[in-house]
Amino acid sequence: MKKETNLSVFLRGLLIENPVFVLVLGTCPTLATTASVVGALAMGLAAAAVLVCSNVAISLLRNLIPSAVRIPCYIVIIAGFVTLVQMLMHAYLPALYELLGIYLALITVNCIILGRAEMFAGKNGVLRSALDGAGMGLGFTLALLAMACVREIFGGGTFWGLEIPFISNYKIEFLTKAPGGFLVFGLLIAAVNAITKCRAIKKKDFGCETCPSAGACAAKPCPAADENLTTKVGMTEKEEKENGNG
Amino acid sequence: MKKYLGSIVSLTVICLAVSVLLAAANGITAPVIEKAEGEKANAALLAVMPEGKDFQEIDVSAYTLPTSVTGAYSEAGGGHVLRLATTGYAAGLTIMCGVDKNGKITGAACISSGETLGYEKTYGERFAGLAAEEAALVATVAGATKTTTAYKKAVADAINAATILSGGSADIRTEEEILRDNLAAALPAGESFAKEFMAEELQGVSAVYKAENGAGYVFVLGESFIGIDAGGNVVSEADKETQAAAKAAFTSHTSTVLSEIELSAYAGISPRVEKAYRTASGNYVFELSAAGYGINGEYGASGKYIRIKVSATAGGKIIDCVTLEQHETENVGSACADPKYYEQYRGKTAETLGEVDTIAGATYTHRGYSVAVSKVFEAIEILKGAKR
Repeated sequence: MKKETNLSVFLRGLLIENPVFVLVLGTCPTLATTASVVGALAMGLAAAAVLVCSNVAISLLRNLIPSAVRIPCYIVIIAGFVTLVQMLMHAYLPALYELLGIYLALITVNCIILGRAEMFAGKNGVLRSALDGAGMGLGFTLALLAMACVREIFGGGTFWGLEIPFISNYKIEFLTKAPGGFLVFGLLIAAVNAITKCRAIKKKDFGCETCPSAGACAAKPCPAADENLTTKVGMTEKEEKENGNG
Repeated sequence: MKKYLGSIVSLTVICLAVSVLLAAANGITAPVIEKAEGEKANAALLAVMPEGKDFQEIDVSAYTLPTSVTGAYSEAGGGHVLRLATTGYAAGLTIMCGVDKNGKITGAACISSGETLGYEKTYGERFAGLAAEEAALVATVAGATKTTTAYKKAVADAINAATILSGGSADIRTEEEILRDNLAAALPAGESFAKEFMAEELQGVSAVYKAENGAGYVFVLGESFIGIDAGGNVVSEADKETQAAAKAAFTSHTSTVLSEIELSAYAGISPRVEKAYRTASGNYVFELSAAGYGINGEYGASGKYIRIKVSATAGGKIIDCVTLEQHETENVGSACADPKYYEQYRGKTAETLGEVDTIAGATYTHRGYSVAVSKVFEAIEILKGAKR
């Protein structure tokens, strides 16, 4: 298998493996903090900082952490960095700290961070893990910004809190609410699929074997490890090829 | 076993390392956070005392302060900022009030409120720069009488509390305590007093209280509480005119005889009027049933009317009004049984009935109550024969 370059490790999180629009991870903070561009940027950067730091720390400790307790160890490390970010934001960026509220603490259980720890940092070197964290963090931030731009501009008639002439008279307030968030989320996923012409990472590429909880259900055979991997409901990979799908 | 031990040691070491890292971070950030929090708290204090410096929280439990005072801060210049919790119509009001060392209000602001009207947001501005006597003269806001009255009382409490905290003394009795003390002073032989319904118009009298042990009555004339024993002798000190007015009121009040009117003999009287009486002096007393939320409400309505007693002059002016019974929604429409609500109807005529403040969140109750009271004016005209 051809080894990825450091650049491609960094770049893949931006679009083809974008954690929000392709992997569909971190949906909760994505919907909750994208009503404003400021909130989205703050959440994106906070999560990116935790992602880079936790990836580096986990990569450094990967050979010392026993496999049986790796998930609790990862969680402790991630929670430690999240708390650190919380303390720093509370002290030096109190306005953003209050704006993000509970979602800042919830970065601890953000699937993206634990997912990258398990999928990448636990198996790769420090530099590549840092690049992966930076790429994924940046991809997460850009996705949040894209969502927030649509929601704040068209839903709130403002950008960065500043009123936009004309648009502010015809704002679609629905977009700032949760259902509007889901709508924008779906439309942007569709847009990413259209841009990448569905060549982004396929579902089978991040099946059970990359799931952080795969170890916990290792007692049962993991479907992803099966040769006849089910990629679509009721259709095996073999059948897909025969039918020209996939 | 070795495998498990390795896992335990690894997890423990990681937890300890993270704890050390966070403890170090906390050591750096905690003072910054504490300073910022202090500045934030100070901002609320500075809003009501812009010249204040070095605010220090005072333990209010060490002082006997008005019950509305929930917090107090002293400042370097000898002033105080008080935090007060009070009640407007139903919801709580939290008010910050600054009082300088001379007892003048430096500012008052409502920092949280569940009131619906919103007058409390800017009402505090009217008190800035006023002394206690001037603050007492600040007018309440029509349409938000209860809210603004509670606000005024809180500001008065703040001034009293500041006086006490500065080492002075102040009367911090509640309205109920002041009333009880005044009644006991006016008629020392009386034991526990009950407010009387006034069927007759008593000149200059705003309220009548009867001693439950039969010792006599207390008549409130302006600021004076005049006690009259069961034999009709004035037992309180007062000038001759006041004594004479109290005696006249006593005679009129105790000699009131009500003659029931046969309503079926009159056409056109609203079914809201259940009973009617005529007094010896030609005034009327009515017992009404008001269709409030209990009758017209949709959810949880009791199906029962509000029962009201109203006295009115033959000229169509309400003398007294009292709620006898109500089954409205607890803590909402039940406010119709609060004297602060039904006593608003005193002195009202058909033209001025609309001036009565509504009950916040209880439109049905207020509307039903007012409609029932308005039927009194129609009934008087009919009973007088004008529409017979």
